Amino acid sequence: MGKGRAAGQESCQCGGEAEFAFWRPVAGCFAGTKSHGQAYPFSACKTHVGQMDLEATWRDAPRRLRAATARAAAFACVLSLMGCSGVQSALDPAGGDARQIYWLTVIMTVGGTLIFLFVTGLLLYAIFAPPERRAWLGSRRTIVYGGLAFPIVILSALLPYGLIVMRDTDVPMPDALPIEVIGEQYWWRVKYPVEGGKPEFATANELVVPVGRPVTVSVTSADVIHSFWIPNFGGKIDMIPGRINRLNFTAERPGIYRGVCAEFCGDQHARMAFDMVALEPAAFEAWRAAQAKPAQDPDAPHLARGRELFRIAGCGSCHVVRGTEGNGAFGPDLTHVGSRRTIGAGQFPNNIGTLAGWIANTQHIKPGVRMPSYGSFTGEDLRALAGYLESLK
Amino acid sequence: MLAGLVAWAVQFTVIYGATSTLCGRGWVGATMLGVGNVQAIILAATLAALAVTALALAWSLRLYGQAGDRAAPADRFMSQTGALINGFSLLVILWHGIPAFILPACA
Repeated sequence: MGKGRAAGQESCQCGGEAEFAFWRPVAGCFAGTKSHGQAYPFSACKTHVGQMDLEATWRDAPRRLRAATARAAAFACVLSLMGCSGVQSALDPAGGDARQIYWLTVIMTVGGTLIFLFVTGLLLYAIFAPPERRAWLGSRRTIVYGGLAFPIVILSALLPYGLIVMRDTDVPMPDALPIEVIGEQYWWRVKYPVEGGKPEFATANELVVPVGRPVTVSVTSADVIHSFWIPNFGGKIDMIPGRINRLNFTAERPGIYRGVCAEFCGDQHARMAFDMVALEPAAFEAWRAAQAKPAQDPDAPHLARGRELFRIAGCGSCHVVRGTEGNGAFGPDLTHVGSRRTIGAGQFPNNIGTLAGWIANTQHIKPGVRMPSYGSFTGEDLRALAGYLESLK
Repeated sequence: MLAGLVAWAVQFTVIYGATSTLCGRGWVGATMLGVGNVQAIILAATLAALAVTALALAWSLRLYGQAGDRAAPADRFMSQTGALINGFSLLVILWHGIPAFILPACA
């Protein structure tokens, strides 16, 4: 509207009215007054609006609309391509359920975009085309077919399609692997219950599943409402205190994926993630057998020192390390913490450095978690303790 | 003119009420002529609502046809609106009945 504004201001100067501004003729036309209660006759209003050179503005509109559309489309493309693949992307499905949801999303998005563009095109045509060429847009036939029949046909097709997707996803299977996940501020307690003679065990912040076998994840919460979501494997499901919800899916290809909490649960909600590892069945059974075993005894003096520090510092009052005195149920089970890919609920790669940093600066790294910072260890002791935890494979 | 909307409202109330009550009380599973009780109730309510609305639509179209081009504008508008409302009601009643035959009764 820059050109129109300049023209409006020029007319203000020519008319000798200091208060005249771009918006005044338009506002005055609606209000019927110029300013300070002065009458604003329609003829003056029409003259002033005409002087604003609105036609030049309209002539310029298509060019500016094209430029703005191109900028918006480029931005949207870059933004959407960033999420098209990866360990945490609903656009890269790794299971049948996620694939069905993905295609529903694609059809809805592409279809909606095409219809939007088509209708926008018609709108622009209705505005800019000569009257004799755009007359058909207001005909009864156009309204009945385009405005009534077309949406009815589209919605009548989408409704059963959406319902069929709902029916065919998240279906419980009789031979599914049961896994229990409990959301806590701000981490995930994961339990594998007894199954076919295989013992139960617990782990944390890591979900391991076999490829090709259905999985039923039963979720609940120990404190506030969380939401369990692995984008590559399907929809999200709420974790509600006192209630057990279930999510069913099957991993179709091995890989490492990432799940997140999808419901705001407190200050560190954004740092509440977990790894999901899909293994071939044989590898999964080996992992399961290893996880069910108690922790190995340290095989080096400094690791033995680390285990002693773990006991002296009272770590075992909150953490379980099966095979030791540590039997606290408050925090994550650390029996095989060294075998996990990440620590801090998916925040850092798991190694002796990050483990030591976590122990010494927990409240600095993730303020608000229930574990206090243990900054009083000497460097040597901290290395021994972190080394011991890393050795718990 | 409003018969279709009333039929839709009644169907809506019956199917939601019946589904909530039967599912909430665990009374699902009984069958009527081989169809689950929830589905049977939804089917009956949908067919009844469709029948009423179809009659109302036919009546509206008849009035519209009778009105002709020489009718008063108000009469033409009312008959057109009646036909439109009843037509939409027919469609929406159908849409409301469809999920019962695709999804499990208490999903």
